[in-house]
Amino acid sequence: MTRKKVKLAFITNDSARKATFKKRKKGLMKKVSELSTLCGIDACAIIYSPYDTSPEVWPNTMGAQRVLAEFKRMPEMEQSKKMVNQESFIRQRIAKASEQLKKQSKENREKEMTEVMYQGLTGKGLQNLNLGDLNDLGWVIDQNLKEVYKRIEAVKKGSSTSSVAAAAAAAMAAAATSQSVAPPMEQKPAVMELGLDPMQRTQTEWFTDWMNSNTSDQHIGYGHADEMILPNFNDNHNANVWPNNFYP
Amino acid sequence: MTRRISKGRQRVEMVKMKNESNLQVTFSKRRAGLFKKASELCTLCGAEIAIVVFSPGDKVFSFGHPSVDTLVERFLGRDLPPPNNDVHNQLIVAHREAGIRELNTKLMNLEEVLQMEKHREESLQEIRRRANGQWWESPIEELNLFQLQHLKEALERLEQKVEKVAQQQKMVNNHAFPFHTLGSAWTPPNCARGSSSYGLNVGAPFANRAIGSTSSMVPNY
Repeated sequence: MTRKKVKLAFITNDSARKATFKKRKKGLMKKVSELSTLCGIDACAIIYSPYDTSPEVWPNTMGAQRVLAEFKRMPEMEQSKKMVNQESFIRQRIAKASEQLKKQSKENREKEMTEVMYQGLTGKGLQNLNLGDLNDLGWVIDQNLKEVYKRIEAVKKGSSTSSVAAAAAAAMAAAATSQSVAPPMEQKPAVMELGLDPMQRTQTEWFTDWMNSNTSDQHIGYGHADEMILPNFNDNHNANVWPNNFYP
Repeated sequence: MTRRISKGRQRVEMVKMKNESNLQVTFSKRRAGLFKKASELCTLCGAEIAIVVFSPGDKVFSFGHPSVDTLVERFLGRDLPPPNNDVHNQLIVAHREAGIRELNTKLMNLEEVLQMEKHREESLQEIRRRANGQWWESPIEELNLFQLQHLKEALERLEQKVEKVAQQQKMVNNHAFPFHTLGSAWTPPNCARGSSSYGLNVGAPFANRAIGSTSSMVPNY
């Protein structure tokens, strides 16, 4: 195998070109043979070169004539349907690569913006994002929200697991002690249900109370992300979007 | 060069493949690779090549440079003697080759960019792997109702925040230009026109500027 990448241009050096031709022609013939054997199909290859008046043929002249006869027997349309020359072949590959690139870019963009969303949830500001970024971020958030809505509905409808049923029951109970404007379900949640360990739970309970007396939308703003709702325990001491803080 | 067992490459026995679908996949891939090699040989060495291949499904694929038909006719001996090399002919050939060169370049660049995006995907995956993993990052199925509802609220607030920031950015962008206060038809050429390009429901830059509102933007003529 070559260690150096060959530039895809006509090889001007005569001897180099001849040597390359010999090698690659041999390789090509091998590949046709393998294709034919592995897949059990008929094939032929005809190579005309400046080095020889008669072409090199795979499998051999007779075999190739047979295959070509079969080829010619097919209706014109069938013959040309999958027929390519260099130009059309490369165009096909360009089209395919474009598609793959488009798909890959989109996936990457989504992944990237999901990271930004997660960071946004920990309170990181949105300062460094341009309008395009914000747009894509909005889209990702929206996608996630849709899934969350769906999931909430599903959970509410068919509480299949007992833990979920217990959670729902606890929510009903907790609703009685609500004190803030948020929908009753969310208030003073049985903090147990959040699946936090004891230390997190205490902190969360503390913050929950603090938070309920402190909700403010005015703090959301350009350049003021830092001063938002709550102090945190971790380094992300920035704009908090959580109705209650859950930080470990 | 040390021999490494890379992810995809394995030694294959040279007999007809047993598994039907593997066979089909192999055919597709190898046929494409075969045509690619043929194309390269044509470009690198000025060869003229025709390949005809029948698929497992009895369709026929063919590659030919300059064309399948002319080469087949030449081979089967049914055509006129090979074209002479007069100037006219050479021009045609040269033109064709130039076009192909251009296409090849375009393809190469595309594939390079595609590679970069693939690497970018790997980096992003690595970032995700290394992330500390807050509870809300777990798959939705693993969250209980409370978590879901809190997540819902948090996302909604984040979404609002995003819209606000976007709106403010738009204002900042527009501030540099004079404009009318009544949602005029005239918009500076290089400023975001309307909400159509951004799905954030922020509205056209000037449409929100109703009569009598934020007058700080009113230009002094």
